[in-house]
Amino acid sequence: MSEQELRNELNEPVEPLLPIEKKLIGWSLGIGIVLLVLLAIVNHFLPLS
Amino acid sequence: MTEAVLSPTATAARRLGEDGLAVIVGVGVLTLALVSLAGPDLLGWAVTTSVWTDPAKALGAVSKAYADLGGAGALAATYLALLVVLSLGVAALGAKVGKFAIAFTVVFVIAYASWFVGSWAHISTVTPADQTKLGVSWSLRLTNEGGFIVALIAGLVIANVFPRFADWLKDAIRPELYIKIAIVLLGAFIAVTAAGKLTLASSLLLRGVAAIVEAYLIYWAVVYFIARKWFGFSREWAAPLASGVSICGVAAAIATGGAIRARPQVPVLVSSLVVVFAVVEVLILPFLAQTFLSSQPLVAAAWIGLAVKTDGAAVAAGGITESLVLAKAAAEGINYQPGWLIAVTTTVKVFIDIFIGVWAFILAYIWTNHINVKPDAEKAKASEIWARFPKFVPGFIVTFVAGLALALGGAGPKLAAAVGEANTFRVIFFILTFFSIGVLTDFRKLWREGLGKLAAVYLVSLFGFVIWVGLIIS
Repeated sequence: MSEQELRNELNEPVEPLLPIEKKLIGWSLGIGIVLLVLLAIVNHFLPLS
Repeated sequence: MTEAVLSPTATAARRLGEDGLAVIVGVGVLTLALVSLAGPDLLGWAVTTSVWTDPAKALGAVSKAYADLGGAGALAATYLALLVVLSLGVAALGAKVGKFAIAFTVVFVIAYASWFVGSWAHISTVTPADQTKLGVSWSLRLTNEGGFIVALIAGLVIANVFPRFADWLKDAIRPELYIKIAIVLLGAFIAVTAAGKLTLASSLLLRGVAAIVEAYLIYWAVVYFIARKWFGFSREWAAPLASGVSICGVAAAIATGGAIRARPQVPVLVSSLVVVFAVVEVLILPFLAQTFLSSQPLVAAAWIGLAVKTDGAAVAAGGITESLVLAKAAAEGINYQPGWLIAVTTTVKVFIDIFIGVWAFILAYIWTNHINVKPDAEKAKASEIWARFPKFVPGFIVTFVAGLALALGGAGPKLAAAVGEANTFRVIFFILTFFSIGVLTDFRKLWREGLGKLAAVYLVSLFGFVIWVGLIIS
């Protein structure tokens, strides 16, 4: 891929976020935050030094 | 290309791969080291370097049983052993042995010379007591692992000032192979370090699980959103970029590219970006960790494992961080347990690596069923999980379990000595990794290939988000 081709490609019109992408982002963040909170609780009751 | 059209040798080489070779070499070195528990010391001839003021006294064999060998003899024996083993290994991978052997000789000489320079007392001594003992009035206080940084800089100079020489060396520039061997060897070292230290064992587990959650579920989602929404990247570019920034660099970017059926050049360009930024991180983050996190050493180690991308750079940065943090603490009269920090960094990285295949399968499922839906397109297969699984990880688990079983079985000081000998080789493979990473890092590529916009996403995500969230959660 030449430099010019790459530049052209990266400047193409924006593809809007599809609902499935929004779901992927939302569910990932949601599950991630819940799991981190659970880990924080575990760490609170079984503290590590 | 299918296996049907490959020669039997090429098929065998493809099946073995660098991961398989790393397991064979790593487990082989540990096995030879463990023979000393019940019999002769087979690896005591390996070369080790002390902090020096007189270069003639710097090198020596790791075991007193081989003291007669002298420094030069130990160095020659180590070089020859590595040359033979690695030449056989790359031959099994289908590479040209002659070219590898010549290039490896030069790589070994420059890399070990860098380590030797890094062990000079004016570079490595840390405490005033050590400086007085060695009779030096000043020191950069990089510890003797400052040699890793010297090796990295030597590689960077070659890559960016002597590109033709860098190209000539490329047959022996195999950072992934070197670091995977080192990680397999680290399994036993971590086990012996963690055995009997419940605090470290539970910390390793907790931080490893937290790292998986952060990398795959938090970082990936945020980086993907930033790339798509703020920078307007297409899905084909955003997904490999998100994996490269958030998970584990090159392997994750390539696995993601394959999963979403991106054109091959997309993950390759992302990977080149990952390698460059990983080097920048190695040069900066350990010193930040030393300055701001020396009172929280395990936090510093987990942070490095999360923030520095690519296995080689991360584990290597963990080694530098350990030496810098321990050095600062020692200067303040606090003696932390050696080995704990690198154990945490490595565990965090290995835990993250394990799930690359699972993540690639999830993305492949979403892309083939919801985004690039084509009636005749091949759907995601569960076998992709194993296909993307880093095959050196079982080697790490084998050496970890073996080390743990022996440690809990009461093997004691003999086990520590044997694992110490294997660890000497781990250090040598680290040095080779650092030098190789430097040689592969041509900063000019960034601008020549017009990667500025990709680099901007990387910069914003890594330094604006990944590093700080990792720090908070670690």
